[in-house]
Amino acid sequence: MGMIALGLRNLLRNKLRLVLVGILIGVPFFLLLAMYSIGDAVQRQTAVLTENVNTVLQLRARGSMGHVNMVGQDRILPRDVLEKVRGIEHVEHVEPYLLAMAPITPPNFVMHVGLAPTAVKRLESHGEAGNPRIIAGRDLTPEDAGQDVAIIGQGYAQWAGIKPEHMGTAMLTVDPTRTHPVIFGMDRPTRELRIVGMYASGYIFGDLQLFLPIDTFRSIYGTDQGISWLFVKVDSVGNVPFVAQRLREIVGDVADILVPESAAVFTATTSRRVTQFAGAGGLLAFALMVIVVFFVLLMTVRERAREIGTLRAIGASNGGVTAQFLTEAVALSLLGGALGLLLFRALGAMATGRLFTLGIGPFLPSHYKPLFESLTVSNQVSASVVLLILIVAVLAALIGSAYGIWRAVRLSPIEAMKHE
Amino acid sequence: MNRAAPLIELRGVSKFYRKGGESIDAIADLTLELPEKGMVAIVGPSGSGKSTLLHIIGAMDRPTRGEVIVAGQLLNGLSQGELTRFRRRTVGFVFQTFNLIPNLTAVENVSLPMEFNGVAKSDRVKHAKALLERFQLGHRFKHRPSELSGGEMQRVAIARAIANEPRLVLADEPTGNLDSKTGALIYELLKQISRERTVLVVTHAEGLAAMADRALHLQDGRIAA
Repeated sequence: MGMIALGLRNLLRNKLRLVLVGILIGVPFFLLLAMYSIGDAVQRQTAVLTENVNTVLQLRARGSMGHVNMVGQDRILPRDVLEKVRGIEHVEHVEPYLLAMAPITPPNFVMHVGLAPTAVKRLESHGEAGNPRIIAGRDLTPEDAGQDVAIIGQGYAQWAGIKPEHMGTAMLTVDPTRTHPVIFGMDRPTRELRIVGMYASGYIFGDLQLFLPIDTFRSIYGTDQGISWLFVKVDSVGNVPFVAQRLREIVGDVADILVPESAAVFTATTSRRVTQFAGAGGLLAFALMVIVVFFVLLMTVRERAREIGTLRAIGASNGGVTAQFLTEAVALSLLGGALGLLLFRALGAMATGRLFTLGIGPFLPSHYKPLFESLTVSNQVSASVVLLILIVAVLAALIGSAYGIWRAVRLSPIEAMKHE
Repeated sequence: MNRAAPLIELRGVSKFYRKGGESIDAIADLTLELPEKGMVAIVGPSGSGKSTLLHIIGAMDRPTRGEVIVAGQLLNGLSQGELTRFRRRTVGFVFQTFNLIPNLTAVENVSLPMEFNGVAKSDRVKHAKALLERFQLGHRFKHRPSELSGGEMQRVAIARAIANEPRLVLADEPTGNLDSKTGALIYELLKQISRERTVLVVTHAEGLAAMADRALHLQDGRIAA
């Protein structure tokens, strides 16, 4: 019966208290894991956005928004631009898009976007910043090329009366004849598209789009040639100026070349702020753990003063008493960590988003909030999460128990002689 | 006449406490020699200094003045760590409230001091069981204190006190929480183990003190008779 084993057995003396203390430590652990996952999700999102933003150039027909059905904006990029751009050194790949505006309840508009099924789903007017995530159904796949299928933004879906549970069965009618003062009424037949997925972009206008395979788009709108937007992915940020220069030389006569950076700057700034808030939340959770361990250990030492005195009287060393209480503290913290992890597995994905919205959202500039409200946080338990729990549990135990252990070690064996 | 060196020597030992700005003499200039082996009862009214004397002899408290020598070791200059080692090897304690560790079995409680003393597990379990059998507790090896009677708990505590074969056993009111019949039994046990070592018993019970080889009557920190 070593002192470490004695410390472990002491935990089981009062099972109700063990559970209560476990929960008291587990809840801050849950909070810590939630903050960690928020920080991780934001950083991952930032990395994706940065990758998609800082190395991407956008081409549109000169002086045009490139929408195939907008009055006075009907000029689109000639199709041969695609081949010219592909031939430029350091261009990794190109993504052609076709766009058509459609009125819903005037004066609002939705945007129909034709794209290669696996291309990045870029959002009109924030094409460089958009990061839509599928929230119901599925994404487009290569097999969808040329099929009458689409994925829909949650705002558009709401207007059309399509619910998330209808994915795969809901139908949406695309009517090119519908008009608005600034839109051509195109004399084309309507088409029924099957909605296979729903996305959320985090901001209202971004949620008013419909993504469909580009061949399907061409067939609906009768646009056999041309491209609304051409996104050019460069192999590295350093080569962007070179590619931009080559684009100006090769297709500058027909295309405006946009180098979108503002979104990346915004994303990095916002990401930094969110990470800072998440870090502060994590520190708060850690402080709560330390406080719980602190009071539990202090209470334990007070309750067991006579027992500690007895151990001291019969020859327990300072190291032995320290080992016993440290074992208890570490085991309690680890138990809390395990409970926190279970909570996180059970509620993490659902509660973390709420936690983010309620706890961090209010501190963000109002116009950035929606972007992160649809933040997809993971409740997966990776090796780094387990390592985080182990390190935090041991640290909280060490810091929280230090004073209690100091008190225990200083207890005189005379305590053992005190009568009730 | 026993001419061997005494086990316990106190030379001019005093212990003062300050309480509310007032100095209290718990022990006053006490000089005393107690031999190896035998049972010594320390008796006296509350506040006479009995417990303080026990603490000082048991290396749990330091005197304000004077020298304390136990088993040839001058305790005054020892560090806390050295005092711990000294207690571990030389002194066994029996408490009024038994002070067994509640979540350990009888065998584990008796083994504990041996573990602190570095005895191998198999040896300490074997020795603990032998001691418990010696005190008619062979059927209680795996019982926890809450499953034992008062007399059984005190017998486990006595077994624990002598587990490391100390030369000195200190018992603080060992029968204070027991009925008279069980108390007499415990005294008999202490008397029995005092044939191999010195047993110092603090007690209020004059009748039990009469069973000791020697009784020290304390009054206001001084030996009265």
